[in-house]
Amino acid sequence: MLLVQLSLRNLLRQKRRNVLLGTAMAIGVMILVVANSFSHGISDIIFNRIMRYVTGHVTIRFNEKGGIHREIFRDRDRVWAAVKDEPDIERAEEAVGFFMRAIGNGKADNIILVGANTKIGVTKKELKELEESFHMIEGGWKELEKTTVENPIIVSEEKARTLNVKKNDVLRVRFRNMFGQDQAARLTIVGIMRNDNIFMQPVCFLELSNAKPLLGYRPSDTGTINIRVKDPQKNARAIADRIHDRLKPRLALIGGTLVHGALRSEATVLGFKSDDDSQAALAKKLTLTDGSLDPAMKKDGVILTSPLARALKVREGDTVELHYDRKFNEQGASRILRVSAVCEPTDGLGENVVLMNEDKFYDAFYEDWPKNDDPQGRLFRPDERNSWVPLLAPEWILLKRTNTTDDYIKKYRDLGKMKLKATTVDVSTMYETASDILKLEGVLNLITLSAVLVLFFIILLGVINTLRMTIRERTREIGTIRAIGMRREDVRNMFILETFFLTLFSASIGVMAGFGVMGLLSRFTFHMSDNPFGMLLVNGHVYFLPTFLGIAGNVLLIVAIAVITAYFPARRAADLSPAKALGHFE
Amino acid sequence: MNIIEIRGLKKDYPLGDTLVNALRGVDVTVESGEFMSIVGPSGSGKTTLLNVIGCIDFATEGSVQIGGREITAMNDRQITDLRLHKIGFIFQTFNLIPVLDVVENVEFPLLLMKSLSRSEIRKRADRLIAEVGLQSFAKHRPSELSGGQRQRVAIARALVTNPDIVLADEPTANLDSVTGASILELMKDMNTQEKTTFVFSTHDANVLKYARRIVKIHDGLISPN
Ligand SMILES: Nc1ncnc2c1ncn2[C@@H]1O[C@H](COP(=O)(O)OP(=O)(O)OP(=O)(O)O)[C@@H](O)[C@H]1O
Ligand SMILES: [Mg+2]
Repeated sequence: MLLVQLSLRNLLRQKRRNVLLGTAMAIGVMILVVANSFSHGISDIIFNRIMRYVTGHVTIRFNEKGGIHREIFRDRDRVWAAVKDEPDIERAEEAVGFFMRAIGNGKADNIILVGANTKIGVTKKELKELEESFHMIEGGWKELEKTTVENPIIVSEEKARTLNVKKNDVLRVRFRNMFGQDQAARLTIVGIMRNDNIFMQPVCFLELSNAKPLLGYRPSDTGTINIRVKDPQKNARAIADRIHDRLKPRLALIGGTLVHGALRSEATVLGFKSDDDSQAALAKKLTLTDGSLDPAMKKDGVILTSPLARALKVREGDTVELHYDRKFNEQGASRILRVSAVCEPTDGLGENVVLMNEDKFYDAFYEDWPKNDDPQGRLFRPDERNSWVPLLAPEWILLKRTNTTDDYIKKYRDLGKMKLKATTVDVSTMYETASDILKLEGVLNLITLSAVLVLFFIILLGVINTLRMTIRERTREIGTIRAIGMRREDVRNMFILETFFLTLFSASIGVMAGFGVMGLLSRFTFHMSDNPFGMLLVNGHVYFLPTFLGIAGNVLLIVAIAVITAYFPARRAADLSPAKALGHFE
Repeated sequence: MNIIEIRGLKKDYPLGDTLVNALRGVDVTVESGEFMSIVGPSGSGKTTLLNVIGCIDFATEGSVQIGGREITAMNDRQITDLRLHKIGFIFQTFNLIPVLDVVENVEFPLLLMKSLSRSEIRKRADRLIAEVGLQSFAKHRPSELSGGQRQRVAIARALVTNPDIVLADEPTANLDSVTGASILELMKDMNTQEKTTFVFSTHDANVLKYARRIVKIHDGLISPN
């Protein structure tokens, strides 16, 4: 108590010097608080505003048959089952979007048509956030649900201008769909929005349920799935890993009936992998009794097992019909197959099996996803140990999880070379897909860190210097209190306390000043709609997100640095011999 | 009883490459309750001797016993506590703590002792302040006092702990002769009232007449009377 009183009063004594040091520290803390809050604000914007609407924190991406634009997966339920029960998911949403050439009133320009879900399970809060992010100048989000007009869309102010269109005008669009076919459509403008994000300017929103059929998705298909995660920094990777685990493919097969004239037989149709190694291995493994391997390898013909060939009385050169039930359609599917070879069902191969090149196989498998109802267990479903399995086509190819953008890019570059026939399924997080934006956060943290370092030196030099001067001035006083009987450690603590209080006061003032500066800065409105940095603003304002923990941590850090720095000169002062200190003259 | 007993005390100060022999073999004994003065010309070693007695400086050689305890064998903590409990200091330059007012300055050693309650501390401080005649200045800071008043505060501070010994190094050197005389009167009163041993140094002949015993020091040696 005595020490606290003494140090507080001593602090007030050398006002000028302490005010100077205190001001320096306060400014440092202020910068730190502002930088920290800014950096937090930016990550909040990145994670909770941009990522949320643009890519999500976890993304499941599909590419059918190696086509980069063919972002489609044909068994919606299967994928969504893997997502459904994750506890920390805030929202999972299908994202479909397409580049298009749009023609307005005498003007043409490119747009990106994006499906927006305003219907299913969108809460009031989410709709409000949506409205906050995209200011409607005319019309509103709800108008996307209009059924009285054809394909209601919302366009950005800039696009409306370049296309010379107003509300209720119709845009004609042309585009090549994901299957490579040219298509045309008419879109009706029901709203015009303004936003500060330059990347959003070409975007036109169409209600998801309208966008999907327009872009060629059937109800049973799904496009890319963007998942918003609670506390993404903590959860995103773990969720991605778990979803990835649940999306392991099985062997792809079509269970159906082969018909040859009046003869029918149940059969399991399998695809075989078509890369050179797999084909060579298959050639070695197969024991042919009729025909040759070559046509099947070249996608021209299928291989039947001998029991099946006998039952159907077919031989090389005959054609058979394949009929099977579809999972998402009441009507069955059928294909004509040309038999080009017959093989023995050796080595654990099923009795009634048709083998066909995966390229052709996937055409059927994906286009008409088989139901494979098999109550009697008559389909050939080899387990993983079956030696044929490595040579056979899986339902899809699940890409390995990657952790960095570099790995991610490399993964897709390698894929491009492989000419895959199956649909690839990739589960990624924002760390891989948007690490450039995330790098910005890193840069900001670096700036904060530099602020800390600068502050560290201010404190280090300031405290040491101030304390030295103070101690020199008060040497005789130290001698006096030591002579009277104050203990060494108390003398030391008195000086440390002085620094502690000075730092604490300065830091508090710095924190308050920081809030003042933030309040001031966030009052300005910046118009940056033509600048990519605009997306780091919220409604044109700089966004700060101070966190109690961050600020308390900063203050604590600074006080700790100051106290540690003060320790050494304070100890030297305490260790002065009282007689020498008393004899000291300024 | 000998409250101070010094035998063969030598004190050297290193000065550059040489040694200054400030004390060259001093023997002094002081009995409890004495009012004793150390006199000698400038540079003779008065301050050095008082510092050693006051346990704020240490002998190069010889034995120093305070209250029967050999201080050369004690550690810093013990010596600090000895100073706090047994010794009071009065300095030539008063050496009050500038950020504390008069009462607080007088209370200061008692607060360090941590053995009395706040109210007892206040009572004792008030009594001592009354004894040195500064009741009406209790709330003043040292900078608002005259030299004589400051030295009175210092006396009150030195005596507030009921020390065995009060050491005063030229307590009147910074005061005019009238004020100096009153300070010595006060010290002497305290000596008779409180039975406290007083040892003070001076080279002022006027001051000497107050001393009951005089020890002369010359060139680091006690000169015979
Ligand atoms: N810290 C020191 N370093 C070196 N020499 C010192 C130191 N303190 C004192 N001396 C020397 O020791 C001798 C005795 O000094 P001291 O201060 O005890 O004399 P004094 O009798 O108190 O003199 P004065 O009457 O002027 O105060 C002097 O020669 C002085 O120069
Ligand atoms: Mg002296």
